[in-house]
Amino acid sequence: MADNKHDRDEVKRNGVVDITRRTFLHKSLLAGGAVATGSSVGFFQTLSSMEVANAAMGESFSFAWVSDTHLYPRELNQRFIDKATRAFSEVQAMGDKFDFMIFGGDLAQLGDPVEIELGAELLKEVTITKHFIPGEHDWYLDLGESWNKHFGETPWTFDHKGVRIIGVDSVGRAPDYWSARGMTDHERMGHMSALDGSQAGPWSGLGKEQREWLSSTLSDWPKDAPVIIFSHTPFWECYAPWNFWIRDWREVHEIIAPWQNVTNIHGHVHQPLYNEIGGMRSIGMLATSWPWPYAPEGVPEITKPMLRVDPGDHFDGVGWGNMNMSAEAHVDHQYMMWREQVFGYGRADSGTGDNVNQKLSPRIADRGWTGD
Amino acid sequence: MQSIRNKGLMALISALLCVSLAFVFVVNRAAAHKVSHDAETLQAFTDAFMEQVILGDNLFHGAPMDGINMSNTGMACAMCHPFSSDVHPHEYPKFQEQMSEFATLRDMINWCIEKPNEGEKIDPDGEAMKALEAYIYWSNRGSVLDPGRH
Ligand code: HEC
Ligand SMILES: [Fe+2]
Ligand SMILES: [Fe+2]
Repeated sequence: MADNKHDRDEVKRNGVVDITRRTFLHKSLLAGGAVATGSSVGFFQTLSSMEVANAAMGESFSFAWVSDTHLYPRELNQRFIDKATRAFSEVQAMGDKFDFMIFGGDLAQLGDPVEIELGAELLKEVTITKHFIPGEHDWYLDLGESWNKHFGETPWTFDHKGVRIIGVDSVGRAPDYWSARGMTDHERMGHMSALDGSQAGPWSGLGKEQREWLSSTLSDWPKDAPVIIFSHTPFWECYAPWNFWIRDWREVHEIIAPWQNVTNIHGHVHQPLYNEIGGMRSIGMLATSWPWPYAPEGVPEITKPMLRVDPGDHFDGVGWGNMNMSAEAHVDHQYMMWREQVFGYGRADSGTGDNVNQKLSPRIADRGWTGD
Repeated sequence: MQSIRNKGLMALISALLCVSLAFVFVVNRAAAHKVSHDAETLQAFTDAFMEQVILGDNLFHGAPMDGINMSNTGMACAMCHPFSSDVHPHEYPKFQEQMSEFATLRDMINWCIEKPNEGEKIDPDGEAMKALEAYIYWSNRGSVLDPGRH
């Protein structure tokens, strides 16, 4: 029976999503049992279309998203540099199409100024307008000093062709977990950088001050006009033990609830992830560096899970994002992956479906286990 | 079912069975522990195991160890396998697609050391391997045994 669980999820998923033309197309493929590779755009594969249905009308435009390059110093790891460079040059090659590019955080791996400078250097490849939000890996060595010096402070906002666009800092406001325990800067960063660590606590959040800022930033914006909020981490509770989400998501939802057309686009999870909560759509983006497995509890039923990744292929399961805001104010999203197949549906091929027999426990080595 | 008609034969069979069972029992008793396990002893066993789990946890999260080099990319296993997810120890042994051969968990640990980590294979029976195995199994305890599954 376990074998069919995933198939049942698919049936449910088909029924849940609003049928817009492109999701319908995608779902039809899905129902036929085909893997959705879509049509080609140049040498890219057009792999997915996720849509955010909106009421308002505006002018259409496109933008690119790149995040989670996780650069190490050049001598240590060339592979991540190659992948970041590939994403940046692909964005640049399509530059005419994009009004701007968002860099969504985790440029560096261990917040080292050397890594951040390397990233800033590689980013020069992209000459269209760039906007930046930080990731936790950029922040916890020097508490944002290098990041802010290179890329400016967060939050920020601007209006673009009828859309209010907002970038927030969902990483830099963690409660202090280091002072009382006398951690060095490197220890602080080390604990933060382990996704499955326990010492940094539930660190992600907007915090009171930034929530107030968000509230006042939205206050003069028509309730039916589109809003896009960029954050490094998602605005919903996806898997607490891996620190995937903002701890104050309920308060944030209260603030944004009156706006009927909000799309939150986030990085950090390194995997295709899609959810809808109230009027808010949430789209999780790929990393260029490496993909993460899905959380043990699985994914929301409206997420199309990615195919199991081949660990021998550094360009598998990673890429960047190509977003289009249509005239009808829909956000169309394409995962720009470097391999043909992206989504896995059968149990053996799905990044979540194959885990029905898996049960996991939190690690203990960083909790000072004393033997009882 | 055919019934056994010959009662004499049946008696003989039961007698033989009793003797052999008694024999097995005696031999086993000779080899087994004579003391029952008190809480302290059990705790000592647990400690010995958990020590390996913690060592493996640290190795899996990138801690160095003398004589081995599990990564040349800066990456640790845990970066792609938080909580040791997607390692699937309960599915081994199995035909491993990436290697095109029948493989054990230890084989695949070494494969991941060489491929994504670009590190150097470790001794399949060495200290580091046993500790990694301890951590991986401990983290996945409660998973349903399902050898051979892809
Ligand atoms: C760059 C990411 C990455 C790193 C680093 C990595 N792995 Fe993997 N590993 C993967 C992926 C992806 C898979 C495939 C998972 C699947 O098939 O569902 C995998 C599969 C495995 C499997 C086989 C699971 C199966 O069912 O086939 C084992 C065992 C494993 N890894 C152990 C390790 C160990 C031990 C390390 C550290 C030495 C490590 N991995 C480092 C990405 C990685
Ligand atoms: Fe990241
Ligand atoms: Fe992150």
